[in-house]
Amino acid sequence: MKPAVKTIEMKELTLPPELEVVNMTKQFGQLIALDNVSLTLKPGTFHALLGENGAGKSTLVKCVMGFYKPTSGEVRFNQQVQAIDSPRDAQKHGIGMVYQHFTSVPAMTVAENLVLCRYESAALIDWKAEYEVLNAFMATAPFKLPLSVPVAQLAAGEKQKLEILKQLYLKSKILILDEPTSVLTPGEADEVLGLIREEVVAGHLSVLLISHKFREVTAFVDEITILRKGKFAGSGRVKDLTIADMAEMMMGEKRIPQTVQKTLHPDPAPVLQIQAIHANKDNGLEAVSGVDLTVNSGEIVGIAGISGNGQRELVEVLAGQRTATDGQVLVNGEVYRASRTEMFQHRVFVLPEEPLKNACVPHMSVAENLALRTFDRSPQAKGWMLLFKPIREAAQSLIKTFNIKTPSPETPISNLSGGNVQRTVLARELSSDHINLLIAANPCFGLDFAAVDYIHSEILEARNRGVAVLLVSEDLDELLKLSDRILVISEGKFAYESPIADADFASIGRSMAGH
Amino acid sequence: MLTYSRWRRTLEAVSIPIAALIFSLFLFGLFCAAAGANPFAVYGAIYKAAFGSWFAFQNTLIRAAPLMLTSLCTALPARLGLVIIGNEGALVMGGIAAVAAGLSVADFAPPIVVQLAMAIAGIIAGGLWIGAVGALRHYRAVNETISSLLMNYIAIALLNHLVGGPMRDPSSLNKPSTFPIPDIDKLGTIPFTRVHYGLLYGIVVCIIAYYLIQRTTFGFAARTAGGNVKAARIAGLPVGKLTIAICFLAGSSAGLAGMVEVAAVHGRANESLNANYGYAGILVAFIARHNPIAASVVAILLGGILASGSILQRQLGLPDATVYVFQGLVFLVVLYSESLYGRFAIFKEPDVVTPPTSSAPLAG
Amino acid sequence: MATEALGWWGVPLGIMAGMLRGSAPFLFVSLGECLTEKSGKVNLGLEGTLLTGAMSAYAVSYLSEKTVGSAIAPWLGVLVAGLAGMVLGFIHAWLSQQPKVNDVAVGIAMIIFGSGIAFFFGKPFIQPSAPQLPAFELGAWSNIPQIQSALKVSPLLMVGVLIAPLMAWFFKSTRWGLFIRAVGDSPDAALAMGISIKKVRMLCIIAGSFLAGIGGAYLSLYYPGSWTERISSGQGLMAVALVIFARWNPIQCLWASLLFGGAQSIGPALQAVGIEGGYYLFNASPYILTLLIMIITCSPKKTLTGAPGALGTLT
Repeated sequence: MKPAVKTIEMKELTLPPELEVVNMTKQFGQLIALDNVSLTLKPGTFHALLGENGAGKSTLVKCVMGFYKPTSGEVRFNQQVQAIDSPRDAQKHGIGMVYQHFTSVPAMTVAENLVLCRYESAALIDWKAEYEVLNAFMATAPFKLPLSVPVAQLAAGEKQKLEILKQLYLKSKILILDEPTSVLTPGEADEVLGLIREEVVAGHLSVLLISHKFREVTAFVDEITILRKGKFAGSGRVKDLTIADMAEMMMGEKRIPQTVQKTLHPDPAPVLQIQAIHANKDNGLEAVSGVDLTVNSGEIVGIAGISGNGQRELVEVLAGQRTATDGQVLVNGEVYRASRTEMFQHRVFVLPEEPLKNACVPHMSVAENLALRTFDRSPQAKGWMLLFKPIREAAQSLIKTFNIKTPSPETPISNLSGGNVQRTVLARELSSDHINLLIAANPCFGLDFAAVDYIHSEILEARNRGVAVLLVSEDLDELLKLSDRILVISEGKFAYESPIADADFASIGRSMAGH
Repeated sequence: MLTYSRWRRTLEAVSIPIAALIFSLFLFGLFCAAAGANPFAVYGAIYKAAFGSWFAFQNTLIRAAPLMLTSLCTALPARLGLVIIGNEGALVMGGIAAVAAGLSVADFAPPIVVQLAMAIAGIIAGGLWIGAVGALRHYRAVNETISSLLMNYIAIALLNHLVGGPMRDPSSLNKPSTFPIPDIDKLGTIPFTRVHYGLLYGIVVCIIAYYLIQRTTFGFAARTAGGNVKAARIAGLPVGKLTIAICFLAGSSAGLAGMVEVAAVHGRANESLNANYGYAGILVAFIARHNPIAASVVAILLGGILASGSILQRQLGLPDATVYVFQGLVFLVVLYSESLYGRFAIFKEPDVVTPPTSSAPLAG
Repeated sequence: MATEALGWWGVPLGIMAGMLRGSAPFLFVSLGECLTEKSGKVNLGLEGTLLTGAMSAYAVSYLSEKTVGSAIAPWLGVLVAGLAGMVLGFIHAWLSQQPKVNDVAVGIAMIIFGSGIAFFFGKPFIQPSAPQLPAFELGAWSNIPQIQSALKVSPLLMVGVLIAPLMAWFFKSTRWGLFIRAVGDSPDAALAMGISIKKVRMLCIIAGSFLAGIGGAYLSLYYPGSWTERISSGQGLMAVALVIFARWNPIQCLWASLLFGGAQSIGPALQAVGIEGGYYLFNASPYILTLLIMIITCSPKKTLTGAPGALGTLT
């Protein structure tokens, strides 16, 4: 045990090596995810990798980390070629990665997770000695976390901090961060990135940050490299580039900011009324602790909040996927329990997050998924019998109108790409002649800009038609763009509410953090 | 109207199970050879006992009848995503109820009424038995595989208790049984054959089950819940009611099988009711990939192979457990074949290339 | 008879005897299943492993009596039972880790296959009698035969009782124990740490089957102490429910196994004091107990504490 601890101490003193990615290509079957990309991460610099969703940023870093084997190209440390075959290899060279999703084991404590992630730890664990080392480490670490608490009980922000702590504990010299601030409040994000920047400036770390947030990039980053559709699209120093330059390189053309046209609705009527709703998480702890909300026709009410503050459970209650422990929901003045007849009667539609997981049946065809809300009514059914021809025809028409890319209506929906699955769900939920209430949760997660623009315009159009829209999102920019009213959910309660014209970014940020 | 993609998938769905069956027969032959018997003699004996003559084929059909029905006890809930193996328990409960019903009305009702009463009793008893499993799953999240297997043991204990005690026919000395159903009330045989009407029940029920699952709104809702419960909920489908309804139907099929065993084969209820049709029913369901019509065909195949058990014992000296080994082998091979779907290029549709999404941290 | 002399005391004594005598198969199988489930996989096939273990232990003990003598023969049988378990475990592990293959279905298939193998090869061994495992006579101080027989404890049970806290320590304080827990709770996290999920699960399933095989050896070489096709009454399956009841904690598996061993002997104990009616129903008490326990401990509203995250729809 002793020698392993010593090796970790030794690593601390040297400057990080220069990391070069040279002409890297990665192909998945027919798809070329990465095409001849090169990148240099100079020692002691903070480098950002920019690009929209699907540009190849994740693929690039996974090749560097040894998760994928590149089709061609190489990685060099201080000019020397190194093959990295696995994350273990990468760790040996001092590279660590902080993922967008947590990679800690929920049932194990913070201490157990930290000990576990060390590759050279001994077969038998002497907890007394380990705790001494851990406590010493915590004393000098930028954030403090309780060592004997199971990770499952930590808040999302704390879990993300643990991920970063892990890499510091492992004395990684090169840190790759994949959208690390998506689950942090703006204040926490600044704190984390600021502390990491201090380590970089002191020469302890080089950092490669994947982000799409220009605000962070301009505040903390030295250099950027931009990818577009798997190819290198530009690079440079942050102080030499404007945000408009960066955006243009990401998109390939000058992006005209979309103007949002909102029609006025003179007589708003309350459509959705949430009254004192309480709901629990899967593990029995309370997630929603009494929320009240009214959404009127022809308005978009946005709920902002860091993931894990109860918004997911709230949406599940409204969508009928979770039973509330207290309170009630009214739609059009009547108690609403999300039964199928009530959904049809009150014309309620839902666009959940992760549509393949939450709103689709993977092995069923696109046509059957499109028919999910209508299969038991005429013309798609006669009494108890299903009528296949009307189902197919309806599907073909929706596929055409909404531009869903699929080989045929009979293709299992799991074969489609994420964007097309989202389009399918959109087609199903937004195609009805008469929609009363639309509930959308993170509808644009993981999609490229074109798809995002499309979905935003559909939601706006619905609002302008008079639909009441509840939009729950972790993307503050999206909410600020679309909402008429904005609320913040924090620890299961609403902590902020205001019409969009009076919305104050700083207050929103503070409420998200729970102040 | 089969579209381009459909015929490939149908071909795949038929050829892979057939290949699996053939391969497992091959493995079984190897096993027999290792145990000292000539595999070709084994294949020959099986063929002869199963399909070799009209007499043998009728035996096969007689064995296939309850298999068709009990296989639905696994196949129907499987479409809902549940793995239920309570076929034996439901069969036993159906048999007990059928005997009780039959004996109570036999004195004053014409045969057709007696048989109807027995069938209804079997259906309801089996249905309630497995319906309970479904209810436990929905309301208490109790794993249905474990609970249905436990219910098997409980049903058999009930059978032994009733047959040895309250329902016992004092004249049945060395093998405790209930009073027999009067001969006139027993299920007759199909004209010109020795096969009882239970076979017809089996075929009809399988066809009804197929249409129910594939062609009705109820079946669509069930398949949706089986494919993704969250999607079913978001569409407002009543998952609990679907679960209990499907489980009831599943159990009622097996319960009907129990009635057939009593009314056509044994004429009374005793421990022979528990003749281990149960596991074979599970196997039929899995080989048929839970398709009720395929299950009726597979039941005939498997019924034939199981019928050869005693011949293997007499002619080749292989113990009756040999058939058990065969069932195990088939099951394992068929399960392995599940992983082969989508791997053969000839069955593949033209590709829609799915790029790795950035939301999945680790794609492989 | 002495039974009448004991009167109603015979019942709790019988139950206690059952705990000491009948809990070992539950203990070994549940510890094995606990290990397997900690890595995120379910092995329902342990019922078949139990039977194969029982048969092979009995056969080896019988066949090797001439060469190694009747003291060592049963222990050799125990070892071979474990090895037989490992073979079945390997089949299960390999098959259940193939893509798109359903864990539970593989388990059922293994029950059929394992029982088939056991009955097939076990036919010649039903009649002969094989050397049995010894017992510690803890009741030698008494001159009542019931107490003497109730307090007979097999060294194998003591081995099992030692394994339980050893396993608990293993999960807490060894690297491999942490690996297994990581794989079972969050395969993504384990993958990110470079742990081979397949390898860990395969080893856990095989080790679990080894223990289950030994549980089977106990049945045929100690109590009931013979080989027949009826030797197991579903202990392998009940052990899976037992692990859920014990919340995946090896020490609680120990207590639960004692409970189940006792429950199993309610029927015979009552019969011994003359209660005949309802014999079959009393014998069904372990199954009813298991079902009740599952109804009470499971809840649709929350996941069970201690459940490894990767277990999915089992809990």
